[in-house]
Amino acid sequence: MSEEADLIARSGGGDLDAYDRLVELYQDRVYQVAYRITGNREDAWDAAQETFLNAFRSLPRFRGASAFSTWVHRIATNAALDLIRRRPPQPPVSLEDVAVSAGDDPAETATRSELQQRLHRAITSLPADQRVVVVLRDVQGLSYEEITAVLRIPPGTVRSRLSRGRESLRRQLADLAPAAGV
Amino acid sequence: MKMGHVTELLSAYLDEQVGSGERARITTHLEACESCRAHLESLRKTVALLHTTEPVRAPEGFRARLRERIDAQPRRAPRTFGLPRLPWSWRTAAAALAVVMVGLFTVNLLRAQFPRVALQRARGPEVSVSTPPPPFPGPPAASVDRAARAPEVGAPAPYTPGEPALRRVIRTASVMLEVGDLDQTASRLTRIAEAAGGFIADSSFAQAGSTPEGTFVLRVPAPRFADVLAQVEELGHVQQRRISGQDVTEEYVDLQARIRNLERYEQRLLAFADRAAKVSDLLAIEQELARVRGEIEMLTGRARYLDRQVDLASIQVSAHEQAKASGGFWDFSGTLTKVQMAFLATIRQLLRAAETVVVAVSALVPVVVLAGLAWFVVRRVRVARGI
Repeated sequence: MSEEADLIARSGGGDLDAYDRLVELYQDRVYQVAYRITGNREDAWDAAQETFLNAFRSLPRFRGASAFSTWVHRIATNAALDLIRRRPPQPPVSLEDVAVSAGDDPAETATRSELQQRLHRAITSLPADQRVVVVLRDVQGLSYEEITAVLRIPPGTVRSRLSRGRESLRRQLADLAPAAGV
Repeated sequence: MKMGHVTELLSAYLDEQVGSGERARITTHLEACESCRAHLESLRKTVALLHTTEPVRAPEGFRARLRERIDAQPRRAPRTFGLPRLPWSWRTAAAALAVVMVGLFTVNLLRAQFPRVALQRARGPEVSVSTPPPPFPGPPAASVDRAARAPEVGAPAPYTPGEPALRRVIRTASVMLEVGDLDQTASRLTRIAEAAGGFIADSSFAQAGSTPEGTFVLRVPAPRFADVLAQVEELGHVQQRRISGQDVTEEYVDLQARIRNLERYEQRLLAFADRAAKVSDLLAIEQELARVRGEIEMLTGRARYLDRQVDLASIQVSAHEQAKASGGFWDFSGTLTKVQMAFLATIRQLLRAAETVVVAVSALVPVVVLAGLAWFVVRRVRVARGI
């Protein structure tokens, strides 16, 4: 942690090597959030790049009011949401197709399991507000408090969005979790 | 159905994010409700399933590309991104507001001062030739001085009821002219004065600096005052004009009354002298007569003097030739003045521009405040929605 604090301080002063190291620590997490929210790798790349560019620019003003992880997550979700908001609205089905066929590395697509594709498609089919909460909680493993801080929304809202998102996923993935009688 | 009452809470229950009261209720319900138990189980599996999503890694070259882009960016451009530092922006807003307030205050201050200047300017030309001079706020000291020094004459003014005599006003004018040729002007002035039945009472020349100057005092009959003044002003470019009138009616009436009284007293003294028996009495009466006579003479002289002044108006003309640009090949005597003028003019223009900007900005303030407020609200709503 103290290494991270050191890196943050040096990056804020414009040290590119320190920032490079900081990016290395966070790039997977940021990319993951961007990927799950935007739904495809192309947009995820853009959103993640945008996130780190913005973070670098804003670092001098980062004073540790929140944890760096929270801060980066906030920038990442905003960047990803910005991106899908700017994207012309597409029917969910075609979006999934793009996500799977066009945007993906063919080799990886081949090796990816059917289950993973189903999960990804189910997540990206959720409305944006629910999707963000589900991604942060169940994919990224953030706590409720962290999500509250990242999204700047009340805890009750986190709870209800998560509940609705999970319920929707439960229905979609009912055949994969057949224990339920519903 | 009973299930509906807890399904909403099951997600939070899974994460142990429910209050103790809620948890007790859910537990009780779950014990009794088969379908809710199944639902919970299904939800738990879904969440577990979600946890199995493969971690996605940032693609190869992500950092390298980022580094390139950061390098390519102009350094130090800390533009506000999604998270505005509130304390900072509030301080900025407060500073901006302060600046605007100071600007408004300054403009108001200027506003408060300028009309006075404008008023003073407007008052000058207001004194037209035809208007009879005001009762007596007193002409400026200089003009009184001149009135005393130079022989002056007044115009018969409109008859005022209640006054036994005509209103008596000593009229004086002083005009500063810029003329083409001073000698020519001098001869023309003489002609104008003589044509009006007056004369040049005084004239003088002076050569100050590069431009010759001349001062003339014209005495003309009061009724021709306005006429002559107009002709004089045609001779050149009027740079300054002052017209004043000194109302001496009161003094004149007073003089007349005192003269009448003294004359009556003289008559009675003469009558006494006729009847005087003793020589000593006669001598005393003669002495008194001489004193009264002297006083009468003095007052009459003063009255006559006033008469003359009222009858002949005086116009003082100061004329100087136009500063010739071709004063000589090496004549740069005016250069310093020109430089000074240009310098001051620029400063004045800059101040004017600044004033305009400040006024325009302050006119925009309400709009900006509203826009800022709207932006802030929209931002809040968006953040709250997580969109």
